[in-house]
Amino acid sequence: MNMTENDKQSLSMVTCTAPVNIAVIKYWGKRDEDLILPINSSLSITLHQDQLKTTTTIACSRNFQQDRIWLNGKEEDISNPRLQSCLQEIRRFSRKRRNSGDSTSDVSSVSHKVHICSVNNFPTAAGLASSASGYACLVYTLSQLFGVESEQLSAVARQGSGSACRSLYGGFVQWKLGEQLDGKDSLAEQVESESFWPELRILILVYRADVVVPSRMEKMIRVIRERDFPAFGELTMKDSNQFHAICLDTYPPIFYLNNMSHRIISLVHHYNQYYGETRVAYTFDAGPNAVIYTLQDHLPEFVQVVRHFFPPEVNGEEFVKGLPVCSADLSEELKRDINMEPTPKGIRYIISTKAGPGPCVVKDPNHHLLGADGLPKKSAISD
Amino acid sequence: MTKEYTLCYDGGKRDEDLILPINSSLSITLHQDQLKTTTTIACSRNFQQDRIWLNGKEEDISNPRLQSCLQEIRRFSRKRRNSGDSTSDVSSVSHKVHICSVNNFPTAAGLASSASGYACLVYTLSQLFGVESEQLSAVARQGSGSACRSLYGGFVQWKLGEQLDGKDSLAEQVESESFWPELRILILVVSAEQKSVGSTSGMHTSVETSQLLKYRADVVVPSRMEKMIRVIRERDFPAFGELTMKDSNQFHAICLDTYPPIFYLNNMSHRIISLVHHYNQYYGETRVAYTFDAGPNAVIYTLQDHLPEFVQVVRHFFPPEVNGEEFVKGLPVCSADLSEELKRDINMEPTPKGIRYIISTKAGPGPCVVKDPNHHLLGADGLPKKSAISD
Repeated sequence: MNMTENDKQSLSMVTCTAPVNIAVIKYWGKRDEDLILPINSSLSITLHQDQLKTTTTIACSRNFQQDRIWLNGKEEDISNPRLQSCLQEIRRFSRKRRNSGDSTSDVSSVSHKVHICSVNNFPTAAGLASSASGYACLVYTLSQLFGVESEQLSAVARQGSGSACRSLYGGFVQWKLGEQLDGKDSLAEQVESESFWPELRILILVYRADVVVPSRMEKMIRVIRERDFPAFGELTMKDSNQFHAICLDTYPPIFYLNNMSHRIISLVHHYNQYYGETRVAYTFDAGPNAVIYTLQDHLPEFVQVVRHFFPPEVNGEEFVKGLPVCSADLSEELKRDINMEPTPKGIRYIISTKAGPGPCVVKDPNHHLLGADGLPKKSAISD
Repeated sequence: MTKEYTLCYDGGKRDEDLILPINSSLSITLHQDQLKTTTTIACSRNFQQDRIWLNGKEEDISNPRLQSCLQEIRRFSRKRRNSGDSTSDVSSVSHKVHICSVNNFPTAAGLASSASGYACLVYTLSQLFGVESEQLSAVARQGSGSACRSLYGGFVQWKLGEQLDGKDSLAEQVESESFWPELRILILVVSAEQKSVGSTSGMHTSVETSQLLKYRADVVVPSRMEKMIRVIRERDFPAFGELTMKDSNQFHAICLDTYPPIFYLNNMSHRIISLVHHYNQYYGETRVAYTFDAGPNAVIYTLQDHLPEFVQVVRHFFPPEVNGEEFVKGLPVCSADLSEELKRDINMEPTPKGIRYIISTKAGPGPCVVKDPNHHLLGADGLPKKSAISD
C-alpha cells in the first residue's frame, strides 16, 4: 500500500529495499562526468538482500517545508548534487507521465517535499558498494512514490552513482557502455536471474577500462550462461587484478589492496593450485574487503581454510554470519601445501551469502523508518 | 663494480635464452663507494675445475647463466687469440678458474644484486682473458638482463634491439656520472627479506598473462624513453621525477595485472609513496621522486638542496630504533629542522622502525680494476680468504 492510515494528513509513505552488487567486470573510468557515462561496460552479481541491503523509507507531505535526508541515523546535506540529480529526474519523469494523462490517483504529488530515511545493514565506505545500493534504493523508492516506470530508472540511478543502475536488477546484471552522447542507451539489464545458478555461493571477508574490456564482457556473459565456474573464477580474478593495476597506474597511485588483501589472494591461488583447478575466486572493489566466489560443494572446506589461516578472536563476535556453513575438516596435507603463516584476527568476520533479487517494496508498515510525523523513528538511528 | 636502478623498466623478455627484452630501459649507476660487488678470479693450470663462492658460500657452477658467461667469454678470447691479436700476459683460456664474489649489501631483496654480480663477473673475466669491452654487453646480458647496464657509469640505456640474434640489444652510456652532480639518491631499506617472486619467473608470467604489458611495451615505453633521455639531458628534475614515479607505478601495475598477481610493494612501500606525494604537494612541485624495483625497498631521487630536509622528514615519519644501527649510511647528510606546518600538512601517523636504514649515494662510474693485491678475495692457494666469508 502506498498510503498510511493517516492519509487525511496528506502524508504518504513507501519503504523499499535494494541490494548490493559486486562487479566481476569492473567499471572504472567515465567518458562523461556529468551524466556518469562509463568508458567500458561492466557486469555484476546482485547479492541476496537477506544478508546485505539498503532500506529506504520516503514520506511525502504537503506539510513538509523542504526535502530532507537521513543516512544511517545522521541527517545529511540534501543539496548534494548527486541526490539532487535523482530527485529532479524522478520528478521530471513523474510530471511528464501526469501531463500525458497517464497518472494514477494514488500517486503522491510531485510538488510536495520528501523526507528520506535510509539505513544499510553493513558498514559504509568500506568498499562494500553502499552507494550503489543506496542510490538504487532511493531511486526505486521515489519511483514507487511518484509513479515512474521502471524502465526509466536505470538512467536516473546511474546519475546518482554509476554502479547503482546494476542494483536495480537481481542475479547477473550488465551495465552497457552505450554509444550515444546523451547516455540514453547506457543502461543496466539483467543477463540471467538470481535463480539461474543456484550452486554459486559468495563470501565477503570483511577486513576491516580501454584496452581489454570488450572481449572480457562477452566472455564473462558466456561463462556465466554456461555455469563454467573455473572460467568464471579466473576471469573474475583477472579483472579484479587489472582494476587494481589501473589504480596503481594512476598518478598519484591509488592503493586499495593492502597486505591482508595480498594474503587472501595468495591463499586462494595456493588453494586452487592444491586442487589443480579454480575452485575459489576473489574480487576486490575499492577497499580491502575480499569478495569470494565458490560453489556450495567447496564452501565448508574453504571457510575452514580461512578460519585456519586467519584465526578469529577467541571470544569475539560470530565469525561466520549470514547463510549457515557446515563445518569441515582440513587435511594436514592441504594445510602443509598452502604453507602460509596464520594471521590471527586478520579477518574480522565473514558474511556468507548468494545471488539475490532486485529491489522490492516492503509491505509491512511496522518496517517504515519514518514515523507518522515524517521524522526518523528512534530505531532507525543505528545501523 | 656497480649497482644500478632502473628508471624505465624492462618488464619482460622477448627471447628467454638470449635474454632479449620487450622494451628498452634506462638506469642510473650508483656510486661504488656505497654499493658494489667485488669479484676476484684466479686462473691456474693446477685447478681441477671451475668453482664459485658467492658471499662466502660455495655455489653450483653449473648454473646455466654462469655457464653462459664463462663460455661466451672463453669463446671471445679464443677468437681473439686465433686472429693473432693476443697479449702475452693474458691467462690461458683453457685453464680453470676460481671465482669469489661479495656484495656489500643484502642479496635478493630487490637491490639488484644480480646486475652488479654478473656485470662484475663478466668484466673481471674479460680482464683475465683479454676480451674487448665492446663485446661485454651481450655476455653480461645473458647472465642477467640488467647486468649489461652495470657495465657503464652514469645514465645508461639498454636498447631493445631488433635483430633476432640479439647482437644489437646492447647497453650504452647516455650521460656520464659527472653530468648531473646535484642529483642525489637515497635507498630506504625496508627489510632484507627474500623477495617472494624472482624476476625471471615473474617477468615470464607477466609476458604470458598480462594484457596491459603489451600496451606498455609497444606504446608507452618508446615515447617515455625519448622523454626520459631528454629530461635528463636538460637536468629537468620535476619532469625527471614525475616520469620516474609513473614508470615505477606502471611496472608494479603490470605485476598486479599478471596471473597469479605479483606484489612487490607492501604497506611500507605504500606509506613511502604517500609521503613523497604529500611532501611534493606541500611545496607545489616535484622535489622528490621514488622508484621501486622487484622488492619493497624504495629508491629516492632528489637534488642535494632538498636532501637534508627530506631525510629529516623520513626520520620523523619512520622513526628508527633508538639504539639501533646508524640510520643514515654512505654519503653524509646535514641535519635540518622541520616546520610544524610541514609535519601537520603531511598528516601521516609515524611508523616506528618501518625503515631499517638509509643509504645515501649518488650516480657513479662503471666497473673498474682493483689494483691493491691486499684486496684480492682469494688467497695464493686459489681459495677464499677468511675475510671473504662474510658480507
